[in-house]
Amino acid sequence: MTLAITIAIMVAGGVYLMLQRGMVRIVLGLILVGHAVNLLIMSAGGVFRRDLPLLQFGTALTAADPLPQAFVLTAIVIAFSIAIYMLTLAASGSDDDTEGNS
Amino acid sequence: MIPALLPLFVAVPLIGAGLLIVLPGPRWLRRVLLLAPSAAGMLGGGGLIWLTRDGVVFAHNVGLWQDGIAIPFVADVFSALMLWTTCLLALVCSMFAVATGDDRQSFFSPLVLVLTAGVSGALLTGDLFNMFVFIEVMLLPSYGLLAMLGALGRLKAGRIYVTVNLLTSTIFLAGVALVYAVAGTVHLGELAGAAEESPLVAAGMGVVILALAIKAAVVPVHGWLTRTYPATSPAITALFSGLHTKVAIYAIYRLYAVVFDGDSRFLWIGVVAFTLTMIIGVMGAVGENTTRSILVFHMISQIGYILLGVALFTELGLMAGIFYLIHHMIVKASLFLSTGAIEHTHGTGALDRLGGIARRQPLIGLVFMGAALSLAGLPPFSGFVAKLSLVLATVEEQQWTVMAVMIAVSLITLMSMLKIWGGVFWGKEPPSPEEGVPMITGANGGSVQTATRSKIRTTLLLPGLVLTATTLCLGLGAEFLLDLSAQAAANLLDTSTYVEAVLGR
Amino acid sequence: MVLLLLLIVLAVTVASTPLLDRFLGRNAGWPIATVFLALTVLVALQAPQVLGAGTPVEYTRPWMPSLGVDLHLRMDGLGWLFTMLVTGIGTLIMAYSTRYFPPGRRLGFYCLMSVFAFAMTGLVLADDVVLLFVFWELTTIASFYLIGLSGLTADRPAIRTFLLTAMGGLTLLGAVTLLVIRTGTTQLSVILADPSWTQDPAFVSVVALLVMVAVFTKSAQFPFHYWLPDAMAASTPVSAYLHAAAMVKAGIYLAMRFTPAFAEVFLWNAMLITAGLVTALMGAFFALQQNDLKRLAAFSTVSQLGLLIAVIGVGTPEALVAASVHTVAHALFKSALFMAVGLVDHQTGTRDIRRLGGLRHRMPVTATIATLSALSMAGIPPLLGFISKENLFEAFLHAPGPGWFGPLAGVVAVGASVFTFAYSFRFVYRTFFGASRSEEGTEEATAGEARIGFWTPAIIAAFGGVLLGLTVPVLDPLVNTVATDATHAMVDTHLVLWHGFNAALFMSMAAVGLGSLLAWRSRAGDAMAGRDLVPFTGVGIFEALYGGIIRVGRRVGDLTRFDSPAYHLGVPMIVIIGLASVIAVVGLELPPVAGQTALGLDWLLVGLMAVAVGSAVVTRSRMAGLALVGVAGFTTALWLFFLGAFDVALTQLLVEILTVVVAVLVLRRLPRRFHSVKRRRTVLTAAVAVSAGLCAGVAAFALTGRRELSPAADYFLDNAPEDTGGTNVVNTILVDYRALDTLGELTVLGVAGLIIIAVLRSSDLLPTHGSRQIIVGATNAAYDPADNTVLMRTVGRFLMPLLVLWSLYLLFRGHNEPGGGFIAGLVGGAGFALVYLAAPSDRDARIRLTYPVIIGAGVLVAAFSGVLGFVDGSFLKPLHADIPLAWGGHFHFTTAFVFDIGVYLAVVGVLLTALNELGLERGSDTSGSREDPPTPQEGEIPVGDTNDASPMDDSTTGGKR
Repeated sequence: MTLAITIAIMVAGGVYLMLQRGMVRIVLGLILVGHAVNLLIMSAGGVFRRDLPLLQFGTALTAADPLPQAFVLTAIVIAFSIAIYMLTLAASGSDDDTEGNS
Repeated sequence: MIPALLPLFVAVPLIGAGLLIVLPGPRWLRRVLLLAPSAAGMLGGGGLIWLTRDGVVFAHNVGLWQDGIAIPFVADVFSALMLWTTCLLALVCSMFAVATGDDRQSFFSPLVLVLTAGVSGALLTGDLFNMFVFIEVMLLPSYGLLAMLGALGRLKAGRIYVTVNLLTSTIFLAGVALVYAVAGTVHLGELAGAAEESPLVAAGMGVVILALAIKAAVVPVHGWLTRTYPATSPAITALFSGLHTKVAIYAIYRLYAVVFDGDSRFLWIGVVAFTLTMIIGVMGAVGENTTRSILVFHMISQIGYILLGVALFTELGLMAGIFYLIHHMIVKASLFLSTGAIEHTHGTGALDRLGGIARRQPLIGLVFMGAALSLAGLPPFSGFVAKLSLVLATVEEQQWTVMAVMIAVSLITLMSMLKIWGGVFWGKEPPSPEEGVPMITGANGGSVQTATRSKIRTTLLLPGLVLTATTLCLGLGAEFLLDLSAQAAANLLDTSTYVEAVLGR
Repeated sequence: MVLLLLLIVLAVTVASTPLLDRFLGRNAGWPIATVFLALTVLVALQAPQVLGAGTPVEYTRPWMPSLGVDLHLRMDGLGWLFTMLVTGIGTLIMAYSTRYFPPGRRLGFYCLMSVFAFAMTGLVLADDVVLLFVFWELTTIASFYLIGLSGLTADRPAIRTFLLTAMGGLTLLGAVTLLVIRTGTTQLSVILADPSWTQDPAFVSVVALLVMVAVFTKSAQFPFHYWLPDAMAASTPVSAYLHAAAMVKAGIYLAMRFTPAFAEVFLWNAMLITAGLVTALMGAFFALQQNDLKRLAAFSTVSQLGLLIAVIGVGTPEALVAASVHTVAHALFKSALFMAVGLVDHQTGTRDIRRLGGLRHRMPVTATIATLSALSMAGIPPLLGFISKENLFEAFLHAPGPGWFGPLAGVVAVGASVFTFAYSFRFVYRTFFGASRSEEGTEEATAGEARIGFWTPAIIAAFGGVLLGLTVPVLDPLVNTVATDATHAMVDTHLVLWHGFNAALFMSMAAVGLGSLLAWRSRAGDAMAGRDLVPFTGVGIFEALYGGIIRVGRRVGDLTRFDSPAYHLGVPMIVIIGLASVIAVVGLELPPVAGQTALGLDWLLVGLMAVAVGSAVVTRSRMAGLALVGVAGFTTALWLFFLGAFDVALTQLLVEILTVVVAVLVLRRLPRRFHSVKRRRTVLTAAVAVSAGLCAGVAAFALTGRRELSPAADYFLDNAPEDTGGTNVVNTILVDYRALDTLGELTVLGVAGLIIIAVLRSSDLLPTHGSRQIIVGATNAAYDPADNTVLMRTVGRFLMPLLVLWSLYLLFRGHNEPGGGFIAGLVGGAGFALVYLAAPSDRDARIRLTYPVIIGAGVLVAAFSGVLGFVDGSFLKPLHADIPLAWGGHFHFTTAFVFDIGVYLAVVGVLLTALNELGLERGSDTSGSREDPPTPQEGEIPVGDTNDASPMDDSTTGGKR
């Protein structure tokens, strides 16, 4: 429930920023939406078990689903790669304006 | 043994890319490193087609982990055909890029190889999340290739391209998350038929398919494609047109067959959307005024045709769709390369600034027109067989409106091809070159004035010629590809072989 | 076999034209004509079997069995007739061409004419509807090029012809597919013999209509007639062939071929007769108006084809007999007529009637040819044209339908013949008789007769009409077989020159009489010539339609012609919201929630997130926006930590810091404030955003957390240590179970580094914003950047090696405890970031390493460790080894660790790339004493705000204004 609300807030904010003018805002919006989807993946594993899946420290019986964690880790890095590239594009050209005459 | 080698389709180009980044080396060696993995891929793909032509499905758990836990790589005749065509296009487009000098751009060659690796991975994987990863491996180089080559508009185009694709990937990922949330797995074998049984899985997969549809540029989410593809260099447009949207199409075919089991309840949505795609695409094409924007709009239209096969989901329909897919990849690339050769030589692709080229160089006219007629579905080219079988499939399903649309659309396709023909290949040669006219495309994005009298080099002609010859052969000897497509369609209709192979039981 | 031989020989001829052309030039026509002649003889030799015994010659071999399409060839009487025309007339035209063209190479012409002959032969022999269609379209393509050969003026006509005939082709395709699916076979003779589909009135009408459009376009029937005169731009031999034997006859052939199925379909009868007669009358009338001999002949073709179509529409055996006789007659007189036009044109240099006259003295042979063919065309005995016209009239009188229909049709046909007589008269009289109207000394006035080689083919065709007229009974077996084939009824007609006094004779006499009157009254047509009687032309209508489609197309393209990513991002969002709403309306049955999903502390994070996102949305400052999104990212990391994902949370944290650092490097090049947009758009985007958020939230709530732990998760938790030797389950998934994902991921990351370099280097896309340089007063403490960053540099110098060491430690322990290649790489990268930020200027800060090589090495190491797995049977299969350590114990070594090193290298390489490339000033004036603004400091604010764990949070805020 709480996670769903967080996701909703992030998606709404992200989509709003994404639909604005100017590359930086769009990038920020996409970053937010990306975070939201990462949380959605976490949520997909089921958030009723929240212990660390580190078997040296804990038991497998209460550990959280490790698979979504691996997914999210991968997704974070991919999103980061694209984000820094998009920022490069924003810095290229005379301006980051996406709707002017430039 | 053979299934274990499937990851090489990914590993070989990746290692090639790594070597190209790390080693300095002379130009010829770099060219060999660029071309060799694709050539090897063609050999491998050909072999795979040969081995799977009877409907055998090869599956391999990468890392030899347990079934259902490991990421499976799967190949049936459909993926083998796609792999072969992918490698063919990568090879031919790379040759073209070498001829235009695109490959001198920093990291051009490793990026193309990584792109090929990503496509191969996406075609072979049997795991939804892994598919997401490989689609990203395919996209990242594309972001760069699109923005680093081409004309002045490439920055705008690059921004649209990267943002739309990132959003789409994010939607795809959200879909994967929902599927995992309800089904507890992202393994295609375990998901087989799940969407047909469970509406919850269907909802999650719906999001995945929607994301793929955006990547495939289905109307109404097609606008990004027509704004971005014309901005880069011709070699890259050709490569993208052959690979990117087609991977999405392949995935739609595969996922709908495996996970939805061809569920007939949702097919009408596809029929409507894809019919609209045909119309909007072709109308957009006929209104454009440069060779590449016409061709790019045509992609949209043809994507509608190809996807109609899966929306019919009959044996004939799937066969026609798969045949159309392979045919289209080859023909579209040929068109982009032959018009690209003109653009590169004459500095523009604008119809009103070119003319009379076929009268001076009949060969380029033949290369273009062969592919153009094929695109419009005229015999004796492969496009005819593709169109014929698809029309037959629609008639069989008594989709009269769709059939009428298909026929009308192919007339307008021909009309726009003739528009290019009349503007570029026939017609008056433009007056003496204007001073300082900026190039639409050049080797290094520089500004070069038009020089209409120059001749197109053979090295630029050859890649298009190879592909046009291929479409002619696939038209005359259509049975070869029809037979394979029929087998591929059979595998999609009855996914039990696929599922058994992936799950090892 | 004979049939296949025919096609193969023609194909070989096509293939050999380049060679022939190279050595013989225009004389390449001779060998080609010889081949055609041989083929004519070959076909003629089949006459005893085909016409005499009535058994068709057949040949079959598979072509596309998957679609049921085969290479069925079949020559019955109908096929025989048309094959004879194609090869026979082809022989004459080819021979004629060798002298028509000036010396020189004619590759295009000969090649395409051979293609044409090949296509036509295939068309009339095809016994497979798909094959028929293939050849049908081939004739279209060949004619397009043949017309286009004539240069600039022919471009548009060629394109118009192509589009129009292609349209007909497509309707034929429609008919073909309907028939194939309905009857389950593609074999034409089987389809036509199958009565089942012809009993379904709706179906047969649709098919008839589709076939009809194909016939009308190909045979230039009203309202598609205009392409034919338009296509006169082509050279004369081309016209002669296309009009007499090939292109237009394809439509006639098709109509005759489908008669067995449609003869009883009223729609077919009515439409064919109506359109045919309208065309006949109109064409004949327009022909009379022409001053150009070739256009006159062209309109004459239109008119004659109209008569043919109309009589085929009658559909009775007698009608088909008439049609076949007239086909032969027309082929002979029209080819002769065109060749005569070519002779006149070639010798005098003009085809304009107004400049010709009295040529009979100087060109007697040409005059004879023209006169004979004109007489046959006008239907004067004893020529073949007379007999065919008699038969036509007779057939029209017995047209099906209401009683008045036949006589009316007869009257219209007579009307057309009246004009036919008049224009035939005009053609001959104005060209060859009367006084010469050409000016003295011009080419027209001095032209003499052509050489014998040039006119021989023409005179053969012209005399053919006379000969067959006098010996017309020899055609009996032919026309009877043709009519039998075309109607599937036994026909036994006897053609004679003299029928006795009957209705047809009177009609003929009326036609000739009225025609003479018309010719006299109109001064051989001069009174009517050159006037526009209708305000529009077919070409005009076509071009208007063409332009209209293009304009509509432009509008369709305009729908998406936006360069704003917002548009292209908005549409998918709206579509997905639509999809979600549909699902919400339909409703899904949800399983119960599987466990406690909300803890008290969670609400804190919800609140934090709401504040961060809410402020990020409303702020107008770029820096603030970046900082607030950073806070949101930080909150996400906290969330991840709350959810038991320590590794992920750590990664998220590091990634967030690095994103902000990179963003700061970018932001200093950009305006401070965001661009403003219109209020309406804000409202719209807000609506979309809120709906999207709602969808996401509802989906997350409805679809997640409603099942127990997945089997895969159970497996990982239970077996990871045993399978892989690692206890950090997430890390084992990353480098063992799903190493392929990770390989892809590090490739993605590495490529991001490469494309940043590539894009920036491909051109000067990254400018400096000189106008935005921050001006700092000399009295300001922040003036000297070197002083200003002393603290940072001091800290950095100590921290950086520590960070690198720490990162290596993280790398090693990753398999068991939080850490691993990614986190380690990010920490190491953070160390470099620190060095970068602490440097007094960008140039000093550049870390001089060949970072692409590091990236490449990372990819290579990872990929090679994957290939190493083949030793144990699979790509990326980790190999294990226990290495005894010097100080006792074992180090558990696995190739997964090598893989992790690859990851580490790639991550570090990319971070170095991003910092160096984006930090690099380009094009700025570096010669001045004034250093670049102390930009790094601007970045400290968000970094500090974002993240307490950042090593940079103790720095001051310097140059911000």
